[in-house]
Formats: sequence, structure tokens, C-alpha cells
Amino acid sequence: MKPFEVKLVLPVVVPLLEVIKEVIQDLKSSLAVPGDSVPAADAELSEAWHSELLTGQRGDLELFMSLFGDEFINEGIIAFDGSNAEAVIRSCSAVRLRLREHYLKNLGDEALEAGDVELDKLADPLRKAFMCYLFLATLQELIISRIDDAAP
Amino acid sequence: MLPERAPRAQTQPTEQPVGATELRLDGVWRVVVLNDPVNLMSYVVLVFRRVFGFDEATARKHMLEVHERGRSVVWSGLREKAEAYAFTLQQWHLTAVLEPDETV
Repeated sequence: MKPFEVKLVLPVVVPLLEVIKEVIQDLKSSLAVPGDSVPAADAELSEAWHSELLTGQRGDLELFMSLFGDEFINEGIIAFDGSNAEAVIRSCSAVRLRLREHYLKNLGDEALEAGDVELDKLADPLRKAFMCYLFLATLQELIISRIDDAAP
Repeated sequence: MLPERAPRAQTQPTEQPVGATELRLDGVWRVVVLNDPVNLMSYVVLVFRRVFGFDEATARKHMLEVHERGRSVVWSGLREKAEAYAFTLQQWHLTAVLEPDETV
């Protein structure tokens, strides 16, 4: 994929990052999707499986957070290329899954899938969480649309 | 990266054909992707293309099956390879389970 940059509105995104960082902290010690359903017959493999998934998840999330360094703080710019795009969309997925689990479950899955939620009616922590959820989906859509060919 | 499979404790009887024994021990397994209300359709299509090398139409077909029926069998074959696929799908945060294929 061709590298590209996105300029974000700092006053909007910075408050969302506080929520995202909190969720990422939580994701350092647990998988976004429980990974224990597959190799149940073999405890040793199950442990290695879980540990490898968690290591990969942590690596992706570190790469994701590195988007929000000096260039972002000074100019609101985040940059994507072939070296970070996949890790970023995976991280967005992980954070969105955890946001739903921790904050958004009560909104109902249908409303969540359709994005059919009235922001004004939500209390502040919930509203922020839902805005993070939408922001990360937008980031995913943007990157996916720029990936030239999805085949490996 | 997928962890290496732990060696199996069971040994295979030597008088049986190798292929038949492996099939009896491991059987044929299905990799099933389950629906979740979070991951975007475009994301699921991308993952299927990346992981299985599906073309766009096949990836979309499986994605819609997941979305509408709650699950889609995306691959079937030997257990070890099925595990590798399930692992990769979980790296992408899709919910994947393995099921024995009773029809074989």
C-alpha cells in the first residue's frame, strides 16, 4: 500500500485517547477474544497458544500507540504504511471489542452494529467510549480502503 | 507466530496404513468463524482474504454467512492445519472454533 497521512482534530481526539489508553492497558494482560476455545485437549499447547496471542496483541498495540507520538501532539498527523497498517487495524478491532465488553454492551448489539445510538442521550463516560468506538471504526475503514490488494 | 504443537504422547500402531491412522487420530476438522457484533464487514472480508487467500467474492460470501447465519465453515482438513488457521484468525480477533467434521 502507498503510505498516507491523516490529520486529526486534536481537541476531539486527545480526550478519546485517554479512554483508548485505559483499554489498551487492560488488553496488555488479557486477550480481546478469549483464545482458549480451540486446543482444549492439550494444556501445554493451550498455554503456549494463549501466550503467543497475547504477545502478538501487545506488539500490535505498541505499534498502534506509536502513531500518537510527537508528530501527532504537534500537528495532529498520524501516518500509515505497509509496516503498521495491519497492526493498526487489528489493534482497532481489539480495542473496539473491549470497549463493547466494558462500556457499550447495554446499548444492544443491533444498535451498535447499525451505529444507531443517540450520542446526546448518553452519559459522559459512555458517550466518550462510543465516540472511541466510532473513531476506531473510521480509522479501520480508511486503512482498509487504502490497502491495494487484500490477498496475501 | 503459531506455537509449535506439543508432541503427541500416543503412538501409532505400525500395522495400519499411515494415512488411515492419522485420519483416525486427528480426523477432519472444520474451522468455524462465529459472528460478533463488533468487527466491520470490510474488516472480516480483508481477514478472510489475508488468511485463506480467498478472492473477494468468496470472502464476501463467507462474511455474509457469518453475519446472517451466525457462523461460517471457512476451512476443513487435518487438525494441525485447522489449529494454525484458528490461531491466525484469533490474531485478527475473530472468534474461531474447531469442530470435528462428522460427515467424513
